[in-house]
Amino acid sequence: MLLNTLTFHAPKTLAEASDLFGKLENVRLQAGGTFLLNALKLQKRKGTKTPEHIISLSKVKELIGIDTDKDKMTIKAMTTIDDLFESDLLNDNFAVLKTVCRNISTQPIRNMATVGGNLTCRYTWTEMPAVMIGLNAAMHFDGGSSMEAEKFFKNAAKTDKIFTHVEIKRDPKASIAYRRVKKTQFVDIPLLSLMINTTFNGNQFTNTRVAVNNCVAFAQRDQKLEEFLNNSQKSSTLADEALNHIDAAIYDTRSSDYKSHMFRVSLKSAIAQLVNSK
Amino acid sequence: MTTLHINGKNYEVELKGYETLLEVLRDKLGLTGTKTACEESECGTCCVSINGKSLLSCIKLAADCEGDRVTTIEGLADGDKLHPLQQAFLDRGAVQCGFCIPGMIISAKALLEKNTNPTREDIDYALDGNLCRCAGYLKIIEAIEHAGKIMQEEGQAA
Repeated sequence: MLLNTLTFHAPKTLAEASDLFGKLENVRLQAGGTFLLNALKLQKRKGTKTPEHIISLSKVKELIGIDTDKDKMTIKAMTTIDDLFESDLLNDNFAVLKTVCRNISTQPIRNMATVGGNLTCRYTWTEMPAVMIGLNAAMHFDGGSSMEAEKFFKNAAKTDKIFTHVEIKRDPKASIAYRRVKKTQFVDIPLLSLMINTTFNGNQFTNTRVAVNNCVAFAQRDQKLEEFLNNSQKSSTLADEALNHIDAAIYDTRSSDYKSHMFRVSLKSAIAQLVNSK
Repeated sequence: MTTLHINGKNYEVELKGYETLLEVLRDKLGLTGTKTACEESECGTCCVSINGKSLLSCIKLAADCEGDRVTTIEGLADGDKLHPLQQAFLDRGAVQCGFCIPGMIISAKALLEKNTNPTREDIDYALDGNLCRCAGYLKIIEAIEHAGKIMQEEGQAA
């Protein structure tokens, strides 16, 4: 027996899920289950308290799917990472999601893990938070409330509502660089990720967002670097100069220097990609 | 009682909410072809196909599979006729200790059902969650390529 005793619920509608979530105590929501099930096993091994109820959202069809129109993309919470990767809707600024999804974990995990689970599981090292902050996405919750992704993660990803979908504005003019470093090719322990999203006015960086996930704290923006870039033009020395204008505290991971160095390499590489883009 | 649809059959099973699909397959239904190893989603030996995709049965609650099409390694052969992947693994000497092979074949099947002519990169990507401690990857990859060709000839192309 891998898990402690629990009662399993599989509602078929969001209303039913919401009702159960409101009524039950000591309850956890299950999206893809890739974090939750392993966490429950670990808690059992450690002898710590585990939830009495699990509500799986896997059968709630209204929480599955991807949609786009001329203004935005909507990704529903229970859409798997693999389904997002395979989607033929990933154009304009949404195209970066292909790269993001491709680099997440392994195929069986990508088949199970969901965008909603990745955003709301409250593990600091998951991939989607920095991406959604970088894309200035809005997170929507059951009952109609919504919040900018940046604000959600500033509040340590806390919510008492069921996350339903994320909306990203379409931006055909965006230039985006994304970097993610994991431990080895075959052991997928993420160490850092970052996204730089900018719009070039000629050679001038404008409306730049730099979203950083140091995997220790929740993802956040480096506004100091954003300000520097927004006052900069494309140049061959920009990537080196930019390193003198970062908010160093964001990159302080309380681990050895190698991680800070990897951040510097990744930032340089991302900025160089943007400088060299047409 | 919960109905689980596994390998084309309906099984009526008394499930407890905390049982993983892996435990139910092996301990309640005797389908021991699906292997238990790391039990924490790292190794891929417990892979089964659910609705055509390779998933990890060690982190899937059995009760969450009601209404899904589950295929385990036992469900691939058609009577005495092995699935092209099983036959290719034998013909190409892709099996060493064999422990990882059910998971490998399930993940490879999901790939070949989409694309019977995968590149090496496609195969690496589709099997990145299946580890072989014998490190027999080259033969495994060759077997998958060979099976893809057989599936094309047999009209099992995607």
